[in-house]
Amino acid sequence: MNRVNRCGRIYRRLARAFPHEFRTICGDGLEQLGEDLMPVVWRDQGVAGITRLLADLAMRLPLEYFSTWAGRLKELTMTSDLFEGTWRANIDKSQWDPLHTPEQARITLEATATGYLMVAYGIKDGQAVAERPSPIIVDGRRRPIVDLNGRPIAGVPPGAMAFGSRPDPQTIEGGAEVDGKTLGKRTLRVSEDGKTLTVTVEGTGIKGPFKTVAVFDRVEPDPYVPFG
Amino acid sequence: MTRKPPEAFLPLKSNWLHILLSLAGAEQHGYGIMQDVLERSDGKVRLWPATLYGSLKRLIQEGLIVESGDRPAPEFDDARRRYYKLTPLGQRVLDLEGQRLKDLVRALHAKRRQEARS
Repeated sequence: MNRVNRCGRIYRRLARAFPHEFRTICGDGLEQLGEDLMPVVWRDQGVAGITRLLADLAMRLPLEYFSTWAGRLKELTMTSDLFEGTWRANIDKSQWDPLHTPEQARITLEATATGYLMVAYGIKDGQAVAERPSPIIVDGRRRPIVDLNGRPIAGVPPGAMAFGSRPDPQTIEGGAEVDGKTLGKRTLRVSEDGKTLTVTVEGTGIKGPFKTVAVFDRVEPDPYVPFG
Repeated sequence: MTRKPPEAFLPLKSNWLHILLSLAGAEQHGYGIMQDVLERSDGKVRLWPATLYGSLKRLIQEGLIVESGDRPAPEFDDARRRYYKLTPLGQRVLDLEGQRLKDLVRALHAKRRQEARS
């Protein structure tokens, strides 16, 4: 059993050495699976099985680092982030829900380590309105909906979870659900030339179902980037 | 750049096919997927942990699966586990791959019948 424990320690060290991006997406699933599997593999396959288990990890490790670095290199060589910046609503081209029609609207998207921070603000019924800054995390995982300080948000049902993914570089999909039931979905899609952002939001609110297709034009130069 | 169409994923990598098949109709966690693949292949295919999670990561990035928020009743569940489920794109890719394999088998049978006749 001592040998299994020793191998378990080696396994954990190797699993924890995986790149941050891998661990963000897979969590500690790799570590847990190894812990669950180690005694079974030892019982069924002995030394050969444990060797195979560790070899699988050791061979995958450089591949994951290579994949992470290749992704970073791709990001570095991109001229600019497709989503980041300030976007002004094109009221004429947009199809607003009658209950959510602003006179003016803008959103800013700021790139973060895990996705984006979105701030939306505008003028509705002659008054300035601003939405709470919301993180858009695009790793496909479900997360509780809380404010930037991790506190519950008034009006959000208990147990509500947010999710987000980036199926391709020009699209971000996200939404919210509670008890497996979708409350709303949001898609952000940047045009080929990077100058138009189409935001589609649909779901069910307190006043019933709603759908908005808002078209935004990129504001250039970005007023929030000095010398941008 | 546009979104990858389902056809662009074909033919599916063997590991991806096994994982998508395990998630068809039911959400699963990593250990469950591994056991399911092992049983379905009569012990011939074992997805070792790093291979399995490497594939799960790629499938999430490609939008074929997502982590599920639904969890079984606590008495049937291990709180540490993460569950995964197919996306509509993943389901479509799996259907297309199934059809592709069916066509291949049909072609193989037709060829065998032709050989038997001649």
